[in-house]
Amino acid sequence: MHIQELILRLQRFWADRGCLIGQPYDLEKGAGTMNPLTFFGALGTKPWNVAYVEPSRRPADGRYGENPFRVYKHLQFQVILKPSPAKVQEMYIESLEALGIDLSKHDLRFEEDNWESPSLGAWGVGWQVVLDGMEISQFTYFQQVGGLDCRPVSAELTYGIERICMFLGGYDNIFDLVHGEVKTDDGVFPVTYGQMRQREEFELSAYSFEHADLDLHRTLFEAFEKEGWRLLKEHGHFLSAYEQALKMSHTFNVLDARGAVSTTERPGIIKRVRDLASACAKAYLEHEEGAPAPADTAKGGAK
Amino acid sequence: MSATQTFLLELHCEEIPARFLAPLTQDLAAKIEGSLATWFASSDSAVWRERAEGFYSPRKLALRFHGIPETQPDQTETQVGPPQRMCVDEAGKATIQGEKFAEKWGVPFSAVRFEQPAGKKEPCAVVTIIRPGRPTVDLLAEALPGLIASLHVPKAMRWGSSDFEFVRPIRNLLCLFGEQVVPITVDGVTATNTTWGHRLYHRQHAAPVTIATPQAYEAALEAAGVVVSVDARRTRIAQQLDQLAAEAGGRVVADAELLDTLAEIVEFPKIVRGDFPASFLELPKEVLVTSLREHQKSFCIEKADGELLPCFLTAANRTDDPAGFVKAGNEWVLKARLYDARFFFAEDRKHPLSDRLEKLQALTFQRDLGSYHAKTGRVVALVKMLATRLSQDEAHVNRALEAARMAKCDLRTLMVGEFPELQGIMGGEYLKHEGAHEDVWMAVKEHYRPVGTEDDIPSTPMGCLLSLCDKLDTVAGCFAVGLIPSGSKDPLALRRAGQGIVHILWERGWALTPTDLIHTALMAVGQKATRTAAETTEALLTFFKDRVAYQLELSGYAGSVRRSALATGWEDLADLKARCEALSAFAEDARFASLAQSAKRIGNILKDEAPAEIFDGSLLAQAEEKALAGHLASLEGTVDQKGLLAALAELAEPLEAFFNAVMVKCEDPALRAARLSLLHRLRQAFLRVADFSLWQ
Repeated sequence: MHIQELILRLQRFWADRGCLIGQPYDLEKGAGTMNPLTFFGALGTKPWNVAYVEPSRRPADGRYGENPFRVYKHLQFQVILKPSPAKVQEMYIESLEALGIDLSKHDLRFEEDNWESPSLGAWGVGWQVVLDGMEISQFTYFQQVGGLDCRPVSAELTYGIERICMFLGGYDNIFDLVHGEVKTDDGVFPVTYGQMRQREEFELSAYSFEHADLDLHRTLFEAFEKEGWRLLKEHGHFLSAYEQALKMSHTFNVLDARGAVSTTERPGIIKRVRDLASACAKAYLEHEEGAPAPADTAKGGAK
Repeated sequence: MSATQTFLLELHCEEIPARFLAPLTQDLAAKIEGSLATWFASSDSAVWRERAEGFYSPRKLALRFHGIPETQPDQTETQVGPPQRMCVDEAGKATIQGEKFAEKWGVPFSAVRFEQPAGKKEPCAVVTIIRPGRPTVDLLAEALPGLIASLHVPKAMRWGSSDFEFVRPIRNLLCLFGEQVVPITVDGVTATNTTWGHRLYHRQHAAPVTIATPQAYEAALEAAGVVVSVDARRTRIAQQLDQLAAEAGGRVVADAELLDTLAEIVEFPKIVRGDFPASFLELPKEVLVTSLREHQKSFCIEKADGELLPCFLTAANRTDDPAGFVKAGNEWVLKARLYDARFFFAEDRKHPLSDRLEKLQALTFQRDLGSYHAKTGRVVALVKMLATRLSQDEAHVNRALEAARMAKCDLRTLMVGEFPELQGIMGGEYLKHEGAHEDVWMAVKEHYRPVGTEDDIPSTPMGCLLSLCDKLDTVAGCFAVGLIPSGSKDPLALRRAGQGIVHILWERGWALTPTDLIHTALMAVGQKATRTAAETTEALLTFFKDRVAYQLELSGYAGSVRRSALATGWEDLADLKARCEALSAFAEDARFASLAQSAKRIGNILKDEAPAEIFDGSLLAQAEEKALAGHLASLEGTVDQKGLLAALAELAEPLEAFFNAVMVKCEDPALRAARLSLLHRLRQAFLRVADFSLWQ
């Protein structure tokens, strides 16, 4: 299956089950959880269902586009269901069938895998979903986000898009995947993942392992932090402040990929990101108290 | 006794982490057993434990108890009321208070007796009430929701909008007492006589599985694709593993823990064989076994000579693999993993292992004790000090030093970064590839061993020395900066390291005492210590004494042997071992009981005495004491433990005769002193082996 077809089917499937289809957030980030649609959406009491694709960057996983399985940037398909429905596992299984996976012929297991993001002050319990020995999704019941208890609890489903495509198509190289087809009067041209991304993988890997200016990144980290706290403290702006926390997180990841962060330094740096993110979460909740949530507004109809 | 029924409870949840299944089932069983013991007061919970069967699978926790009475026996209760004088007037008639007491308990006043209960100063009104026993099903219905909510869940979670906490969401409750449903509700889920079968097979069924009677439980579920007994699943897996390995021309590389894991993560076990390209066999065996185990929960297959075959066995949660997808999928994933492992193996070998030595500076061992580079320096110093004591061969000592320098370098390799459990093993492999001396690479490879009390010590003397020095530095270093294990808290696993040191000394019989080792190690720690050497030494001696005591236990010596042997010296392990061996053998001897008795008696007699060391045999008068004194010279002249015990055995009879005939504490002070001295000298000889006063 083409990557774009997989995405379209997942979007259709979850839209039909009451999810808003969101968009990726236009800042570098390590996982779809960091998108404000999830980070803030999982907080507070209002119901909230959303699904979206998120390109996710992991500088340390960069392999210059040479490793057939590992990449600097991959696509996650993220679903948040709040509160978590009683049939959430069943819904997830149906979504696999919507991708054309005939589960009467496959082995499917939910193996314990508890998720934690120290830089977001977030953790949850759940599973990695394993299909014929291959991890294809992460399934998490959020217990805390931004250091705050999640009540009600959201279920987070994260599909690894490239992995599922490779697995379904039996590909041995991620760059051979077909993203989709361009159709013109001259004919149909399949476009591969490699055509779209291999050069990008090379340059971004080289950047995070060799070319990134370490002094600049250390300075940036400090500056983003200062800016974030200023926005939050002087203006009470948790969304723009949260963007600074995201930038801090990515800057840290670049430094980390270069081996510029010692094991003793690491927890302290992660805590600085967490402190800002947690403060944003708290400010969001204070602001939202009593304000109508997107789902409520929708029920109320046009105003 | 009323008729009995079988009780069945099943919590059907979303997939419960494997590691919690057995403890949760046991905890639930213990709580129900406790309640049964309370309701049926005549029995303790052991009676009920014998009637309990536990079941679990990834989505189920279940218990079945047979022989549970349908009703409780009638409960007799005695109720005490006001004093007699307030219940009865002078004319002997009931007062208002007396009437009220009778009314309160629903009996006529004529049923009230007057007795003086324990703890009261005067006779009081007393009634005996017989409460009819309640139906067990009612008792269960009342108690179970609370019992379930009180289960000990190490990592509890919430879900949906509820505040209820459990290990994973509860989706169905099956609760039967005989054929009757026990009406309970937990977090909005109400019990029925139905449950769900296998997650995938059962999806074709619109209706859940009905469990008509508790006895029908396993069979009904098996028909729905779930083998609910973990033991049954383990047995089936083991059989399939053996069969498929034999078909492939080899045998399974045994791994009991992995077998348990597989039995816990599937509801219906089907072992599938997959193959991988033979070219991956160029990777070290440990890398393949670890990669397959950690990433794919798969077993390797080895030939009779121990070499691996290019195939693996893994468990699917299915009854079959109709389209071969399970095989193909696992092969695909494994290839990706092995590709990574081969990449690491190739990258790591582009530079000699020794290149990582400097990089160890950036790797913290412990905050106060510094980096792994600093640790390596201390271990090298320790090896130098101890190796020269154990070996005269300079080349050998130099190789030991080389091994110590290289020991931690693999912590900076890609392979160990990916598989931390391959530490040591990879260092050894890489050194072997570089053409290092076999002593060196073997020592590095095995220097983390023994990793637990079950594990063997390193197979070579140099490996043992390196392991001992590494662990000694960890233990002594941590103690010197105040990181001392206490109670159940031992985050750095210092006890395990200490046990490893003792294990090595015990097996090797090296003439190194804990005092020796502590002294040497603290010299290496030097200025990094935050506590005084005296403090640390004292704490470490106590620590090592406990480890030695445990080593004796692990070696299988009886309690009496351990206690009495330890009491007369524990630091010289070779000597301690010889004494324990001799004592254990001697305890079987018919004369032993008499001798131990006499030894105890000597101890008692000498308790408050100060006998002289020099003993004058010429003062002894009776034949029995002269005979006993005659043994003393040979006894004191015997050096080895076995000979000493043999000599002691010979003493059993003369001693018995002595105590029968001789009154030690006689009137004559000189004779009395001589006898006490004789006993004192005998006791000294005894103590060279053991303190018999601690026997039994």
